[in-house]
Amino acid sequence: MTDRTIAVDYLARVEGEGALRVRIHDRKVEEVELKIFEPPRFFEAFLRGRSYLEAPDITARICGICPVAYQMSSCHAMESAYGLRVAPAVRALRRLLYCGEWIESHALHIYLLHAPDFLGYPDAIRLAKDHPKVVQQGLQLKKVGNALMTLLGGREIHPVNVRVGGFYRCPSREETDGLRESVETALTLSQETARFVAGLDFPKVEEDYEFVSLRHPEEYPMNEGEVVSSRGLRIPVSRYEAEFEEIHVPYANALQSVRKGGGSYLVGPLARYALNRDRLGRKADAIAREVGLEPVVRNPYRSIIVRAVEMVEACDEALRILREYRPPEHPYVEAKGAPDNTRCMAATEAPRGLLYHRYRLGAGGLIEDAKIVAPTSQNQKRIEDDLRDVVGRFLDMDDAHLTSECERAVRNHDPCISCATHFLKLDLVRN
Amino acid sequence: MGPEGPRGVGPGRFPLVIGLGNEHRGDDAVGLLVARRVRPRVEGFGSVLELPNEATGLLDVWSGLGLVLVVDAVTSGRAPGTVHRIEVGSEPLALPFGMTSTHGFSLAEAVSLGQTLRRLPDRLVIYGVEAASFLPGRSLSREVAAAIDGVAQRVEQEVRRAAGREPPGDRAGGPSHA
Repeated sequence: MTDRTIAVDYLARVEGEGALRVRIHDRKVEEVELKIFEPPRFFEAFLRGRSYLEAPDITARICGICPVAYQMSSCHAMESAYGLRVAPAVRALRRLLYCGEWIESHALHIYLLHAPDFLGYPDAIRLAKDHPKVVQQGLQLKKVGNALMTLLGGREIHPVNVRVGGFYRCPSREETDGLRESVETALTLSQETARFVAGLDFPKVEEDYEFVSLRHPEEYPMNEGEVVSSRGLRIPVSRYEAEFEEIHVPYANALQSVRKGGGSYLVGPLARYALNRDRLGRKADAIAREVGLEPVVRNPYRSIIVRAVEMVEACDEALRILREYRPPEHPYVEAKGAPDNTRCMAATEAPRGLLYHRYRLGAGGLIEDAKIVAPTSQNQKRIEDDLRDVVGRFLDMDDAHLTSECERAVRNHDPCISCATHFLKLDLVRN
Repeated sequence: MGPEGPRGVGPGRFPLVIGLGNEHRGDDAVGLLVARRVRPRVEGFGSVLELPNEATGLLDVWSGLGLVLVVDAVTSGRAPGTVHRIEVGSEPLALPFGMTSTHGFSLAEAVSLGQTLRRLPDRLVIYGVEAASFLPGRSLSREVAAAIDGVAQRVEQEVRRAAGREPPGDRAGGPSHA
């Protein structure tokens, strides 16, 4: 009878850090524990007593990679409390801002974090030595995403121009026109990216995911939609907490999201794509067909292709918005009145998946209570399930290689550890 | 790049100071706080940028510039508050900058990538302040807070020297920035 433990103190190429412990006993995987430390919990407390107007700026600081997602979920929640409806041009600009974040985040993950796994390199730096053009292409795409975020957010990191009801300032037509050429280039690069990643070698794996994402009647989902799942769930965002719950796990200083009365589920590109394949625009649809991407992808390693297709969608959608943009008469609408004791919520699609915010507002629009459920917290249990399969498949590997496979399995889901954990430390115990 | 970006306030060859970090993560805020301290002191001849994010964006920010000084938290096992100064050459950074902070792609990795892709400024100087804690919601440790003035002063002096704006005689090396 043998025990085996594998520990990784620092999980490379995952945004931020975290910890993972795997225990194998008699060639059976006994425990897989993803340890989480959650900044959103701190921010929930930090928001109490603050004005509803401060929520977008404060929550944007939870994550350096996806600040727009936090801003958008908080803005939509507050606007629902005050019954605000933003102008169509403002709505389009928000979508454009989200496109920028998707392009930036997906380019970072595809080229600098995920591609080295497929090309046999330990990291992007070693990859850049042999294939500088590949890494430069990723950086070029990321720069275009940053430029969109800078134009609309005021700056790409922790954007300061977003506010409840719209923007403090909307760009001129001249400013938006100035970006069209670079976004056109980014569209071409994204299409090339999809062709490139579709040609990589993928392990043959199928996981039985319950996919969860937003679904909009007309668009590929970013800011709005109902919450749907691949097992038939279809609810308004206001019922999110009736269907999903956060449970405390003893080994982690955090909560894990599960389906009520059920198990793990998956949010993010694989889920969005599976549930919204028919909402892709013409260019993303064409590239998905060209590279032979199946309508539902259950192989987590192939998420790199789905991200590339979503990057095409984001570039194409950004171009459409830039072409059609006319500056609105007013950059924002102001809230009137003060909704005492109002409960409000919203969900938007962060690059890594559904991001849920719920607030209770008291007198004068002060936040009395806040709940923020980040995509990585929702995927945490599902990542543990993937890891069980990985460890089961590679039981005979030595610890170093098994650890590497575990890290790779975690990276498939692009967990934003800076949203959800501080240290990811892998502990693999074999008994 | 933000409105305070180096090209937004003057010629692109101004020395640039970049503070990295997250102000809600204890000592991870040190780079940002030094940047804020330095900003008014180099107005007109130096630029200051705060980046609370992963570091791949640095390659776009610093490419083509002359002198760039980056301030970040570091954890190498030395006493909290210890200040490291590294002038980047062709060798990888020996210290784990950003490894235990919240930047996705650490400063050390960004430097290595910049070296590989030849996307570094003419001169890159890094100040690392040894951190005690990165826990969310924690305030700065006493040791790191005490180090801020000294680092800000050294960074200011380097910017002045590069810009040909030597400090006024009554301030040179003195404690008047405290």
